[in-house]
Amino acid sequence: MKFLISKKLIDNKSLYASVVWMVSFLILALLLNMGVKIIDFGVSPQDWVSSIMGNEEEFIDPMLLSDLLLTLHTDLFGLILVFVLASALMMRTSHSQMFKLTTMTLGVGTLLAYTIGVIVSLWLGTFCIWIGWGGFAAFHLLMIGLLLNILILLVSKKF
Amino acid sequence: MHHQSLRVLALLFVALIVLQSLLGGALFLVVAGWNPHDIVHYYTQKSLHGALEVLAPHVLFVSIALMGSLHFLGFIKTIGDKQKQFFIHGLFGLFGLDQSAPLMIMAGFESFVWVKIVAFVAFEIVLAWLLIIIFKKSVDEFF
Repeated sequence: MKFLISKKLIDNKSLYASVVWMVSFLILALLLNMGVKIIDFGVSPQDWVSSIMGNEEEFIDPMLLSDLLLTLHTDLFGLILVFVLASALMMRTSHSQMFKLTTMTLGVGTLLAYTIGVIVSLWLGTFCIWIGWGGFAAFHLLMIGLLLNILILLVSKKF
Repeated sequence: MHHQSLRVLALLFVALIVLQSLLGGALFLVVAGWNPHDIVHYYTQKSLHGALEVLAPHVLFVSIALMGSLHFLGFIKTIGDKQKQFFIHGLFGLFGLDQSAPLMIMAGFESFVWVKIVAFVAFEIVLAWLLIIIFKKSVDEFF
């Protein structure tokens, strides 16, 4: 994944500009994705439970399995792309190998927790939705933090 | 220790890709069914507008995603040109068949349901295989 950018990124002005814009819009995409989830599922884990499993007291129907699978399928597809792009850029930074390894492992782990947590909640109960909620929030915060760090390095020409 | 950590990371990423493929497969099973008769019924009930609503975003975004993923192959030296060509033509070809087969089913050519099933399964497997190769080679080169 080092191939996304050349070693002399700063010297290549068009590539440099493209990467800066891409990173900016990846951050925006993650923020928008969080906004969509807040509208679709709610803010708190309890809101997510009500939206996915339904809530008789609030007259909320449970989510259709096909809708839930479609949401997770499209979400995971986009988030894997964000993860791969962010990882490809992070590998070009001067951070320690331990930092890179930990960040990537956390990224994959939280993404797995989000998807598996939500999907297995259909069989194992609402507690798994809390895991899914945590995974979703952690992944987005981690990737936004990482991309902001990359953007700062790019803008300050330390990349 | 370091080597073990990389192995764990690679395994987690493989799990992520397998999960994504399983979700795609499960979604198809839920909406269209699992046997050819159900799949034919699903597509023959669909309007042209409904089919285009699925087709248009898939053709646009999957082709971009494929290009984005496949271009990494050009930088991997340990894989031969033939294998790279197999992935490039194979993935775009399977994607074309997967997306066009429903239109043929809707046009009355029901036997294209087999094209749809084989192309869909093969596309998911080859894409997962490609992503795993790219990830593994990249991790090997970097650490």
